[in-house]
Amino acid sequence: MMDKHIFTPCSGTLTRQDNRTTDSKNGWAIICFTFLIFILSASISIAQVTVTGTVTSANNGNTLPGVNVLEKGTSNGASTDGNGKYELEVSGPDAVLVFSYIGFLSKEVPVQGQETLDVKLKEEVEKLDEVVVIGYGEQTRETLTSSVSSVNAEDIQNTPSAGADQLIQGQAAGVQVSSNSGMPGGGISINIRGTNSISGGSAPLYVVDGVPIETGNFGLGTGGAQTSAIADLDPSNIKSIEVLKDASATAIYGARASNGVVLITTKRGSNSKPTIQFSTYYGINEAVNTPDLVSGPQFEMLMNEAAANNGEQTPYSNPEGTINTNWADKVFRTGTVRSHDLTFSGGNEFIKYSISGSNFDQDGVIRPTNFKRNNARVNLDLEATDNLSFGTSITYSNSSRNRVRNNDNITGVLGGVYFYPTNLPVYQQDNSYTKFSIFENPVAAVEEVDFDMSVNRLIGNVFGEYEFTPGLTFRTSWSYDYNQVSEERYNNTFTNEGSAVNGSALATTALSNNWTVENTLNYLFNVDKHNFSVLLGTSIQESTFERTTANGQQFPSNDFRRIEDAAVQTSSSTGTSSGIASFFGRLKYDFDGKYLLTVNVRRDGSSRFGEQNQWGTFPSVALGWVASEESFFNVDWMSNLKLRASYGVTGNQSGIANFQALGLWGGESYTENPGTSPQQLANPNLKWETTNQLDLGLDISLFNDRLSVIYDYYYKKTDNLLLAVPVPMSTGFEELVQNYGELENEGMELSISGDVIKQQDLNWNLKFNISGNRNKILELASPFNVYNRDIYRYQEGYPMYSFYLHKQLGVDSQTGEPIFEDVDNNGTFNPNVDRKIVGNANPDFFGGITNRLNYKNIDLSVFFQYSYGGDQLNWNRFFQEHGGTRNTGFMSSQLDRWQEPGDQTMVPKMTSDNYASNLRPSRFLEDGSYMRLKKLTVGYSLPDDFLGELGIANLRFYVTGQNLLTFTNYDGLDPEVTATATTSLTKGIEFYTQPQARSVIGGFDITF
Amino acid sequence: MKYLQFYLLGALIVAAGCDVLNQDPQTAIAEEDAIRNEKSAEAALNGLYGQLQSGDYYGDNILIVSDIASDISQSVGTWDFYREIDTYNTVPGNLENRNLWSEAYATVNHANNIISQVPELENVSQESKDQIIGEAYFIRALAYFDLTRTYGGVTGVAGTMGVPIVTEPSRAIGENSYPSRSSIEESYTQVENDLKEAQSRLSGFSNPNWASEAAAKALRSRLYLYTKDYDLVEQYATDVIENYSFSLVEDFQDIFYNENTSEAIFELAFNTTDPSSIRSWYFPSSRGGRGDIALHTDFVEKVNSRPQDERGDLIDFDGNIGVYYPSKYQKTGADDNIQILRLAEMYLNRAEARVRKQPVDLSGALSDLNEIRNRAGLQDTAGTGVDTAEEILRAIELERGIEFFEEGHRWYNLVRTGRAQTVLNSVDRKNSEPVSLDNAGRLVFPIPSRDIDANENLQQNEAYR
Repeated sequence: MMDKHIFTPCSGTLTRQDNRTTDSKNGWAIICFTFLIFILSASISIAQVTVTGTVTSANNGNTLPGVNVLEKGTSNGASTDGNGKYELEVSGPDAVLVFSYIGFLSKEVPVQGQETLDVKLKEEVEKLDEVVVIGYGEQTRETLTSSVSSVNAEDIQNTPSAGADQLIQGQAAGVQVSSNSGMPGGGISINIRGTNSISGGSAPLYVVDGVPIETGNFGLGTGGAQTSAIADLDPSNIKSIEVLKDASATAIYGARASNGVVLITTKRGSNSKPTIQFSTYYGINEAVNTPDLVSGPQFEMLMNEAAANNGEQTPYSNPEGTINTNWADKVFRTGTVRSHDLTFSGGNEFIKYSISGSNFDQDGVIRPTNFKRNNARVNLDLEATDNLSFGTSITYSNSSRNRVRNNDNITGVLGGVYFYPTNLPVYQQDNSYTKFSIFENPVAAVEEVDFDMSVNRLIGNVFGEYEFTPGLTFRTSWSYDYNQVSEERYNNTFTNEGSAVNGSALATTALSNNWTVENTLNYLFNVDKHNFSVLLGTSIQESTFERTTANGQQFPSNDFRRIEDAAVQTSSSTGTSSGIASFFGRLKYDFDGKYLLTVNVRRDGSSRFGEQNQWGTFPSVALGWVASEESFFNVDWMSNLKLRASYGVTGNQSGIANFQALGLWGGESYTENPGTSPQQLANPNLKWETTNQLDLGLDISLFNDRLSVIYDYYYKKTDNLLLAVPVPMSTGFEELVQNYGELENEGMELSISGDVIKQQDLNWNLKFNISGNRNKILELASPFNVYNRDIYRYQEGYPMYSFYLHKQLGVDSQTGEPIFEDVDNNGTFNPNVDRKIVGNANPDFFGGITNRLNYKNIDLSVFFQYSYGGDQLNWNRFFQEHGGTRNTGFMSSQLDRWQEPGDQTMVPKMTSDNYASNLRPSRFLEDGSYMRLKKLTVGYSLPDDFLGELGIANLRFYVTGQNLLTFTNYDGLDPEVTATATTSLTKGIEFYTQPQARSVIGGFDITF
Repeated sequence: MKYLQFYLLGALIVAAGCDVLNQDPQTAIAEEDAIRNEKSAEAALNGLYGQLQSGDYYGDNILIVSDIASDISQSVGTWDFYREIDTYNTVPGNLENRNLWSEAYATVNHANNIISQVPELENVSQESKDQIIGEAYFIRALAYFDLTRTYGGVTGVAGTMGVPIVTEPSRAIGENSYPSRSSIEESYTQVENDLKEAQSRLSGFSNPNWASEAAAKALRSRLYLYTKDYDLVEQYATDVIENYSFSLVEDFQDIFYNENTSEAIFELAFNTTDPSSIRSWYFPSSRGGRGDIALHTDFVEKVNSRPQDERGDLIDFDGNIGVYYPSKYQKTGADDNIQILRLAEMYLNRAEARVRKQPVDLSGALSDLNEIRNRAGLQDTAGTGVDTAEEILRAIELERGIEFFEEGHRWYNLVRTGRAQTVLNSVDRKNSEPVSLDNAGRLVFPIPSRDIDANENLQQNEAYR
């Protein structure tokens, strides 16, 4: 039979795109769907008999909350509370009650005049009814032929997170999430199955409730300190996150899919009585580590030693007596974090709603960094007629950040902390700030700079669905992503930037508009045991961006901060736009739930591509075999065995700027005379990068689904890489963006989830995932180096993020001179040529371990995240282990220098030759492996009988610790951060990067 | 026709879809439209001066490179690309070395566009065309001159190869995009030819911010010092000194504290909205700079040993780090103009030519030298032991050093005259042992490693292989 509606009470979602037809035992779904009651009006209905009872699981005796209880043949119903209890007035003693609950077989029970009716529901063991969100639809995991990692409600609930990205970190195999810094609201980088692009970045496509959203950095660059547009999302609104990994899952997103796709689904209302949920927490945070610098006396002692070694006069006469300033103490702090979240949800047959508001406020560990977010969300689903439904998903957020300059920036706060010698006082005798070279006095950098950012973000979607005939539906979806970012920065006259110009101010507003219209036609039908699901669709997206900037200098005094009062004012504006038009289709077919086939194709046209290549086609195909459904399959302890294979082509267009294909001239004035100059060379052949991906997967469930294993092997080859290919600069240009080059990623992923203990009072669930990826550059036009001092090299045969340094073998224990590898073996070490690739930032493997324990009302979750085998460049040491060749501060590692014959150390004798400016010693490259106790949560839910009297459905208190422990050999501040979010070409480098916070948070959730 | 409205909607949406693919840039124009009439040709010409303004070129870099490689300034900050150059450790990957090369060739390509396209324009008078093309030729000559003397060398003195000569605008990457190096002679001939083209199209002099006939002649006087055509040096220096209304300003500091003085032949203009960044390299943080580049103490002592020399007034001391720095560039709005050609050089060029030419004219040389000394507040050389040709050449060398400190002359003059290895020996510097230019191969800078990688026809200078 054909069944178009599957009602899932847990998620409250109507699924119309499932390719599995359901058999009669799922008839509960239809009944549920006709179930019709708005519980508030229940009190006025006329009823003769009241039935109460408790619903429990027949398998383990646990009570079941949220079970639908319906009087058969009517729309009269109720659902069980948090303790599995229900109460329903029925029309008479002959009524029949239907109990239904996802994952359980529904059950009909005649009342027969009883007032108490306790019911046990059997688990639907042979079906894993996990619903997975996929591109333009949903389906059950059992018929899924592609590789999709899900982060479900249970992984998200009960533990506070500052951002959506943190919800994925360590939870999804093959997905590497790293923070660019510990700055609140700061940038993140997500790599799904390695990095598939050199210029195109690794950022996946994010789709929130069907809206492809902007995710980049819209804030002003301050070195590598980036902001993330993902931070606008309130993580507590998120119901589930799906990460689409293989080509079969992603190809439906075509030219933007090769970095994978992250689908975020927010919470929606369900057909249930109104609930009010309030969550709040409060906590404190501090840096996991602070800079390890020498003292003032040590600084002078080292400088004297260097001068003596160089045969010069020692500059300091009394090192012991000098002052000692701990610059880090002046800027690091213990901050607070707090969050409040209020949600109303519920619904009936006609309307379902979920409405929430939240407020989040987080201090950074460096003064005065702060991130505040106010968020409002309205999700509605309306059934207008039997055939027509409408809905909206609208999120508005307003956030503000207090920023400082940091990360990859020597003139920022941390730059000042590291560079300022510790023998300098904070203030001079006249109370002015001590100035030192180009660096900002750290105290001035936090006290005298205003740097505020405010964001207004609206992500809205309205959709309508019309059902022509059973199984054939048309859906139209209109989406809008609006992002307005305003920033104000003021450097007063106490700062370096402000002092030269009597105060310097900058104000900028960036506007990003992004609208998408999508139309899909879906047809579900079956012929005997042949089940078909066909999707056809079109999508149009247009993005515009504009920025207006004003600068002011020369202020009357530091009391004036707005540009209006500046004597010198300049301003500028700019804008750009792009568009994508697409057609796509998908066929899903299965025979009796055993043999599965999925075919996708998307055709994308992009305004960015060259005129020769404006349209591209991205197909994929996947096959699956559910061996455990075969009649000959007779393994009792194995409840599910599925083999999957997929192959497909996806694209990436993010490596090209909007008009990269055109030969352009831009503005270039000569004082007040406006002028133009050549900007870029034309490349009419420019097109997307192409990734071909093979995925082989295996899904196994054992012991009545108590243990499930998902394994995937993949091989991805990306060709036509979008590369800024260096061209001879004698052409007048440095590079031409071309489709040139190839790289590959190969890897394996394993996720294991098991109910180690499953008893009435005690449950222990363990989830473990591990992934390994090997990245290799197969073809390049020519090797090239990136980042300052050329410390990364891109070369055929090597992985991306390879470090290109002078391999330091040691320090001569007799002379204290560093010994470097003579790479060309010509007998002498020549810094010009004897450089080589000495390591790379890619981990050998990484993943997460989550333990979740429940004992009666107590819950405990322990989450570890780990990464092994990646190198991390402690680039702070390059500048702070200068051996006296600069006047700037030292890190404590300088104290390990060679001093007398026989000393065994990697840090050379302090002479100008041993620390010559053209050396890039590999001793700064450290092992970046770590294992981190990311989150530890202990919660206590109050007993239901106690709460019942107060009219409270659920009340839980908890305490969470984040980043409590880190096991690592890395000597820098934080192995998890990387300094340079400004370019996708670098990774694994710490360079004046704000470390992450360690926090302790306490809070409670209450539901009425 | 039950679902007609849906079909209509669908058709509409598909039609709208094709529209989103037509997007136009808002801040740039297609290269084929860049030079299409007189106004846009003038805009392209303005942009060409904008190339010179780049911080990678005459905005600051070429001035700093020349002085830091010599005995005038030293690197005391964090920017170790200049420290490499300062200590004769320059590697082919050096960023500032690369930036100079890259920006000079961007200037060449920009000029090539004007030179090849403006003659084709319709409805533009020949007079306007000549003015625009003539200025473009001058700037291309300047770029090739800088490229040749930096990376190529001086025949018989430094280096063995010239630089790639490109005279057509780049529109695509093809076979012609991978030129090999010409000879040093060919490179200087290219400069000379461009200057001749410029001179034939430009006439007179009106404003030092723009290239002129006088500027072309002044650059020729400098060029012939490198090619050792001393009669021509004298001829063009004399031409510039006598035939235009240039005059040495009375107060030396006015050249920098004012702008467009009577001495300026070619002065690159900046204003507060289009500022130069040179000041911040020298100024200590107490004056809002980054204090990366300081003067060599030995150089300052040399200047200070002549107390009457007014040019010493443009040197200040930073007590914080304990180094001297120049205050030639000191304007609050960072709008210091850059002197590329000024009259004082013409006197010194002529003085040098008069010593080196046959027959020599030592009294003429001394008279030119004394013009410069007198203006700086110094007496004539009479009685100070500056009598022989050799002594006069040394005196000119010293005078050039003090007259043009931080104007980017010193390194090139020392290399050109074959004096670099003698003078740049045991140069005392802060934060390290004294440094010496031991390797004659380092009299020329390395071709940037990036271009060695990108263009296999390009040969590296010997010392950097």
